[in-house]
Amino acid sequence: MPSLAVRVRSRIRSALSSGDNGAKVRRRRKLTAALWSNLAILRVLLLVAGYAWMLALPSPQLGGSETYIDENALQPAQVNTYWSWGEVRRADDYLAELEALRDRNASSEERARYFVDEFTKLGVPASTQSYSIRSSLGVSRGVNAYAIYTAPRASGTEAIVISASWLSLTDGYNLRGLSTVLALSAFLTRYSHWSKDLIFVLSDSHLDGMHAWLSTYHGSTQSNMQADELELSSGVIWTALNLDYPGHSFSHLGIFREGLNGRLPNQDLLNSVRVIAHHTAGVPVILYDHFDSSEWPGRQDVLKLIPSWVPQPIREHRDVIEYGYRAKNVFRQMAYQARGRASGAHGLFHQYRIDAVTLFAVPSNGPHGFYALGRTVESTLRTMNNLLERLHASFFFYILTTPGKFLKIGMYLPSAVLVAVALMFGGMGEWVSAGWVEIVDDDGGADAKESGKQQKQKRWVTRSRDVVPALGIMIATHVGGALLFLILSSRWFIAQQAALALPLMLLLAAIPLGVQLIFTDAYPAPAAASSTAAPLSLLLKALTLCLASTLISVTSVLNFSLAALLAVVFGAPLSLAGAPASPTAGLLRYVEYAVLALGWLAHGAQVREAVWQWEVLGVWFAPLVCVVYAPIMLQAGIVALLPP
Amino acid sequence: MAFQLAFAVLLRLGLALSPLRLILKDDDLLSSPLTSHSRLREGIYLFQHGIDPYSGGTFRHSPLFLSTFATVLPSSGVVCALLWLLVDAAGAWALVQIWRARSRLKSSRRDEVIAATYLLNPYIFLPSLSLSTSTFETTLHLISLMFASQGQASPALLILAISTNLSLPSLMLLPPTMLLLLTDPVSHLASPKPFPAKLTKTLPLLVEFLAYFAVLVLACSLVAGGWGWIESTWGAGILLPDLTPNPGLWWYFFTEMFDYFRPFFLMVFTMHLLIYVAPVCIKYQHDPLYATFLLLGIIAIFKPYPTLSDPGLFLSLIALFPETYPHLRYPIVTTLLHLHAALLLPLFHHLWLATGTGNANFFYASTLVFGIANGGALLDCAWAGLRVAIGEADERWVVLQE
Repeated sequence: MPSLAVRVRSRIRSALSSGDNGAKVRRRRKLTAALWSNLAILRVLLLVAGYAWMLALPSPQLGGSETYIDENALQPAQVNTYWSWGEVRRADDYLAELEALRDRNASSEERARYFVDEFTKLGVPASTQSYSIRSSLGVSRGVNAYAIYTAPRASGTEAIVISASWLSLTDGYNLRGLSTVLALSAFLTRYSHWSKDLIFVLSDSHLDGMHAWLSTYHGSTQSNMQADELELSSGVIWTALNLDYPGHSFSHLGIFREGLNGRLPNQDLLNSVRVIAHHTAGVPVILYDHFDSSEWPGRQDVLKLIPSWVPQPIREHRDVIEYGYRAKNVFRQMAYQARGRASGAHGLFHQYRIDAVTLFAVPSNGPHGFYALGRTVESTLRTMNNLLERLHASFFFYILTTPGKFLKIGMYLPSAVLVAVALMFGGMGEWVSAGWVEIVDDDGGADAKESGKQQKQKRWVTRSRDVVPALGIMIATHVGGALLFLILSSRWFIAQQAALALPLMLLLAAIPLGVQLIFTDAYPAPAAASSTAAPLSLLLKALTLCLASTLISVTSVLNFSLAALLAVVFGAPLSLAGAPASPTAGLLRYVEYAVLALGWLAHGAQVREAVWQWEVLGVWFAPLVCVVYAPIMLQAGIVALLPP
Repeated sequence: MAFQLAFAVLLRLGLALSPLRLILKDDDLLSSPLTSHSRLREGIYLFQHGIDPYSGGTFRHSPLFLSTFATVLPSSGVVCALLWLLVDAAGAWALVQIWRARSRLKSSRRDEVIAATYLLNPYIFLPSLSLSTSTFETTLHLISLMFASQGQASPALLILAISTNLSLPSLMLLPPTMLLLLTDPVSHLASPKPFPAKLTKTLPLLVEFLAYFAVLVLACSLVAGGWGWIESTWGAGILLPDLTPNPGLWWYFFTEMFDYFRPFFLMVFTMHLLIYVAPVCIKYQHDPLYATFLLLGIIAIFKPYPTLSDPGLFLSLIALFPETYPHLRYPIVTTLLHLHAALLLPLFHHLWLATGTGNANFFYASTLVFGIANGGALLDCAWAGLRVAIGEADERWVVLQE
């Protein structure tokens, strides 16, 4: 095909030659004009595409990949397990004594002493650690017990933690979890095949005790926590299994995986547990306590979520129920991750680079008990014992839609990024319209009349964009947000939260109004369509949109669920922000945004919980809402107050 | 206006005394192996205990730093934080002096704004908080430029020789500095003309610079007791022995490379840095201060061991050229890219090295974003600097090339 080659060559030559600059300029102008005139449609399309993608995440049609074991060394469910009915009997004995302790309301010290005595009887070095953690909500005290079994044939540089806390993640006592750990400590220390030390931690309370133990183990101090030094120590912890068994029997093993600040454990750990529970113990694995939609209770749970006005054939369609089931799983993960909450005591481990999950024995009348749980844990420990190097770095970003299906990062990340791009285009568009204004020339009248075609000529002129006032407003709102956070986390506010929340909300919302009143008196607003200087409202909106977009796209790689939450709360409201024609309409708009920005203050329990999570566990959600979310929403409200 | 400066100084003082510096001390973005304060103290310790600090692979500071910090200057504690703040203040003062020389004003309302923006530029004050010696390099660049703008040849060349001794890429600034000494710092961007002075006049300046440089090299060798320091300090910038991650573009490339390609690509990367000097000096011969500014931007992007100070210096210098602002084509895009990069760099660094959920590619991607942001700023400034000459064009015309 010589003719094609010639054509391509001449095309390239003509594109490169300087004679064709005119075409280049025309092409570029055409492109910009098309982009500019379709910008509004493009923004809507991007927003809709982003939201639709988010809604499509649980869809069975989108599929998701089958989970698999990435690390070949793991070899899950390839060993003979030795956990036998004798061990179950031992666990039952421990359980009886623990129930006695619970029934006579034994103190933390008493319980910890009992644990240490039992460990010592088994010949495993054990010790206690008492702690107290202070927060605005009060002081929590407790005593942890732990035992360290040094692997006889290894150097002791690495360790695995098997833990259980006194309280379950449901409202109840985790007595069977604790007895399993005690029985495991008697059983596992009989074998010599461990290449990593085994650490048994029986922590007090639910999260507090484990937090105190872990941060002391890793030598990180915290001003509001007093905890004893640990008398025994071991190597670097690689893996942790947390057992939670609140009922008297269980039907399924539920996996809880979310850690603090949206961290997840390596997916290989969950997949290994699932394979092992299935093949070694014959226990089905589910996500959280969500039963599979193909089972009877799972199906009923999903049907309960679908509103009753949906017609029966659609309600009971296989795909709809499957979608509902997956949506439930995805939403639960997002609810934990976006708020930075840990879904169980395992969640405290991830910040120290430890892969950890909670095995939750879903309470039921049967058929499983200590026997199945012990075998699963034994085999999982043997699998994690095989590791010679850390699990692969690429397996930390995923959304599990079902226990056996997951979405890779590329399947879900674009949804939040699309919304961020829509906001960015919006901000850039406002920036351009702040810099240019179309004015109508009257003076060219004589020529125009002669030509008789048009009376007036329109032309674009640039106007100055002074960003300093806009930046000043933004900085002021963010500083205000920081002050709000200081107030929220103070002890006197928490003490009288119910009385103070509403006045605080009104006061904060009124500050921009007051400032605006003073300033409009001092400096009368310039004419609405000034041809020399851009209106402040446009500049503020442009910068706010760009900032929100940057935040969404940057968080999306760190914590997708948080980015998705920000995309949902920022996407439409910020795109719709604008200066209405009349001041009263503007005031109404401002009130809407102020409610969006500060309305959450009324939810006392959530506020208290978020403050506690920040003060004790260092979860970023509370400061993020105060210093980032509320100020940006208020900025959008201030846009409505300013003259257009 | 004085209020802004007072605010900047107070804020900087508060930051310098805060415990923030303990957190930032060994941050890879703020101090490279060539500028790290921890390594400097290690070198001083070895030196004072009679061990040649250059015999190992940890200490790569110039003997000038070694001798001054081992004797006169404090190298630890709060005094040290105050010293770094003082050095930054000297940089701000020099920047204001350059502005005064360029605008031919004894003082102007912009002075305080320029000083305050320099002191509050996060790319400038964060490295200073981490006690990175790049703060000294930045200030020395500014002082050398200040003397050159005031037409004082000897101090300008002496300081340039010192900063070249501290960091070899500064040698690239010698040609534009000499051109600046032969002309004036006033803006000629609007009226380009061939270089007015004879180029042969640069010869005495070059000889003077070389003399200073030779004396400094001799002094360094006396301090270090041999020539071994040259390979550890200047050699590091050419042979890249330490691949600690930094915000620049070299380290990842050379971690991925087969060993037998290394010499070739080391040569390519080094030559690539040098290749810009002549074209920039020729194109901007009418305004050598602008040429220096652009070369500082190029060094910031392409030097082997950059820290955030280097782009910080380039971005702070933009304050000197308000006549180019109307001709910048995409300032908001560059700003947003910098905002993205400034958030992504520490985040991805944390994901890779602290939580272990990401890998080196994450951080490398963020350094690429940072490189694009810096490149965007540089190209836009290069365009605007030339575009000034054409002035307000009729709207029926489009400027394609200058």
